Amino acid sequence: MIKESVIAELHKIVGKENVKTEKEMLKAYSYDGTSSWKHEPDVVVFPTSTKEISEIMKLANAEKVPVTPRGGGTNVSGGSIPIMGGIVLCTTKMNKILRVDKENLTATVEPGVVLQDLTMRLMKEGLFFPPDPQSFLGATLGGIIAENAGGPACVKYGVTKQYILGVEVVLPTGEIINLGGRTLKNVVGYDLLHIFISSEGTLGVVTKAELKLNPIPPAKKTIMAVYDDVAKAGENVFRVMENGVIPDKIELLDNWVINRIEEMMPMGLPKDADAVLLFEVDGIQEAVDKETEKIVEIAKKYGATDVRVAKDQAEADKYWMARKAGFAAVFGKAKTVFAEDVTVPRGQIPALINKCKELAKQHNVEIVVLGHAGDGNLHPAILTDIDNKEHYDRAVKAMDAIIESAVEFGGVLSGEHGIGLEKQKFLKRQLEPKVIEMMKNIKGLFDPNNIMNPGKIWE
Amino acid sequence: MKCGFCSFFCPVYQEEKEETAVARGKNYLTKLILKGEQEFTPEMGDIIGKCLLCKRCVAMCPSKTQIDRVVVGARAQMVKNKGLPFIKNFAFRKVMANRKAFGRYVKLASKFQWLMPKTEGKVRHLPDFLKGLGQGRNIPEVAKVFLRDMVKKVNKPQDGKEPKMKVGFFMGCATDFIYPELGLKMIDFLTKRGVEVIVPEEQNCCGAAIYFSGDFETGRMLAEQNIKAFEGLDYIVTTCGTCSSTLKDYQKYLPDNEDQQKRYEAFEKKIKDGTEFIIDVLKIPPDEFKLKKEFEGKTATWHDPCHLIRYQNIKDQPRAILKALKGLKYVEAPNADLCCGMGGSFSVYHYDITKKIADKKIDGIKATGADIVVTACPGCMINLIDNILRNKMPQKVYHLLELVE
Repeated sequence: MIKESVIAELHKIVGKENVKTEKEMLKAYSYDGTSSWKHEPDVVVFPTSTKEISEIMKLANAEKVPVTPRGGGTNVSGGSIPIMGGIVLCTTKMNKILRVDKENLTATVEPGVVLQDLTMRLMKEGLFFPPDPQSFLGATLGGIIAENAGGPACVKYGVTKQYILGVEVVLPTGEIINLGGRTLKNVVGYDLLHIFISSEGTLGVVTKAELKLNPIPPAKKTIMAVYDDVAKAGENVFRVMENGVIPDKIELLDNWVINRIEEMMPMGLPKDADAVLLFEVDGIQEAVDKETEKIVEIAKKYGATDVRVAKDQAEADKYWMARKAGFAAVFGKAKTVFAEDVTVPRGQIPALINKCKELAKQHNVEIVVLGHAGDGNLHPAILTDIDNKEHYDRAVKAMDAIIESAVEFGGVLSGEHGIGLEKQKFLKRQLEPKVIEMMKNIKGLFDPNNIMNPGKIWE
Repeated sequence: MKCGFCSFFCPVYQEEKEETAVARGKNYLTKLILKGEQEFTPEMGDIIGKCLLCKRCVAMCPSKTQIDRVVVGARAQMVKNKGLPFIKNFAFRKVMANRKAFGRYVKLASKFQWLMPKTEGKVRHLPDFLKGLGQGRNIPEVAKVFLRDMVKKVNKPQDGKEPKMKVGFFMGCATDFIYPELGLKMIDFLTKRGVEVIVPEEQNCCGAAIYFSGDFETGRMLAEQNIKAFEGLDYIVTTCGTCSSTLKDYQKYLPDNEDQQKRYEAFEKKIKDGTEFIIDVLKIPPDEFKLKKEFEGKTATWHDPCHLIRYQNIKDQPRAILKALKGLKYVEAPNADLCCGMGGSFSVYHYDITKKIADKKIDGIKATGADIVVTACPGCMINLIDNILRNKMPQKVYHLLELVE
């Protein structure tokens, strides 16, 4: 239990109204976006400035109290669970967009800004921040940076780390440092900025960030291609790209997902198709038209049974709505869902999909595939029930095998969700012992007392 | 999976930025209660109370979780376990549930209206000494004569012909005590179009404030009285979005047995909000709507009451009427469907949050450049008037019916 004196100090730092110890409040901060993890903190603190965060960290460091930083609590790795208790440092009240700089295509934000709020603000200026994790309605920039989040648009635009120019960070010891800057090019010393991006909140708290923006492309088009074999769909992904077209999104829905969507909201998706690919191309109108033609041509050449180009935005929205509904469809259909996040080099997509099919048969479980096929980040999901031990055990085995094969195919066990608590047990299968040791040493350098989001990433 | 998408749509969370304000937190804690891992503490009561029941989260939830049912259900369980707090017990059971007594209390209260300085038109500003109660808000004047005291029980079609249908008019408290002219207008509008309108004396309060606070027992009593009062009619029409939705939803929240379920469902099918009745049942063509002279050349914007757009899926009907009114310019507000922040008794307990939410609503209204704000729920009207005055803005607020000849 946390000492009363620490609570009293916190009251002095952020004001009584921003320190919560009611047990209902602690319970409400015991979970994140996952369904499998929970642990209550001893106190929840809502700072409103960098200075306050610095003082909180100094206090916690002196008292050796664990601090778990948290934004919208939408992550799906268990990363923001206060697994050792202590302080939850919640940044949701630091949610100001400090500057949008059209000349330099940058924005300066506080860590608690919700991605969708940023997107809406930038839209007014004709700009956008490309990383698009599908938790955009709740995810905050602090968390997006800490998790190095990605999303569908990363096929063309890349992930968060390509869009962070600089950050202000409060270290676990309370010091305030600035890394990176406001320029695209920056080779001044070691690139410490990128150690913070994907640090999962274990090295410090991002208190301010300088984001790189893009102008919104003037035109876009959506193409839906239908396949009688999901592996063919997987092959089409890299065929399109090797033929010179880089769509901004390529998403895959398998037969199971298509049918659940049609049950929920019939929109004329081909129910007997083994898989559907949704492509979106964006850019200037002429390029978009040409690229669309090319995709249609390639898809047909490599086995698509039907290719439809959305005739207007309404039809395009319908397809993308289906993609979004796919997510709800999966989670609504089983008590427990393992949403895997494995990512393989694009050329290995068919191999991974075939492997999933094989494992589903072998372990007698339902494995559905929907995901960001364009960047090899498939989300095979296993439907199970944590209360049905026998089934659950089979599902765990199938999941282990999927991760194993993704690594064998030259991929990674997590593409965009992070390790957190959820994937700790797999870490050793991916990283060499020396690498894990180096990571631990870096952690010790930043956080000598191991108070910053302790218990995450490695076991 | 706890995606937390609701946080983006929850007007209360957007102000509070704390997990207990949002559906995900309320849902989680309620589940713990069901598992026996959480008590009905006073803090839990505050958390469950701090919800507008605007249903924005319900409309947007990818898993279609019915948070309104979770919240109302938790409130009901709380009432069952602990009873109602004194003030609600008195207001719901002794006053509101007894229609005659309610009328007397409102009338008595209205005798003291002169104590409050009049600000503009029919709105009175609560002076400082009443701040404890009204927290400085502008509240509308209570009508000199209530609708119940001036309305006829049977209103035949004005052309003297056989009525094409017989409908009941459900007046509701706000129309009865504050906006009686709305009731008269509705009856006039319908009787001009061949409809016979019955206004049963035995009708009571719809029960919104009562059963949404978890007092299902009194809610059921009102449901029974209202169902009985309106027996044998083709439809039951209201001028209040909250009333029409509350009457429709008896079947959703209140049934305690199968018989009630059946009867409340049958009742639901007869309820029509005024806007819905005019467009969907009477099917009045656009060119038959005439704008009242005083509104000619004005620019109007529409506010979607939660109880119309999300409880009843009534979105197009009022817009169809507004757009049909020649001489009126209609501008859609960017946040037309955002809750005004009233939430019934929510605004009594959390007026500070109400004001912040209303300010966002007001920004949307400003962006339209409208002279008048139109809606179809007296509850929203009261809150919009208060907040427009507080923001020192010139817009007047009207019920849709007031614009129509």
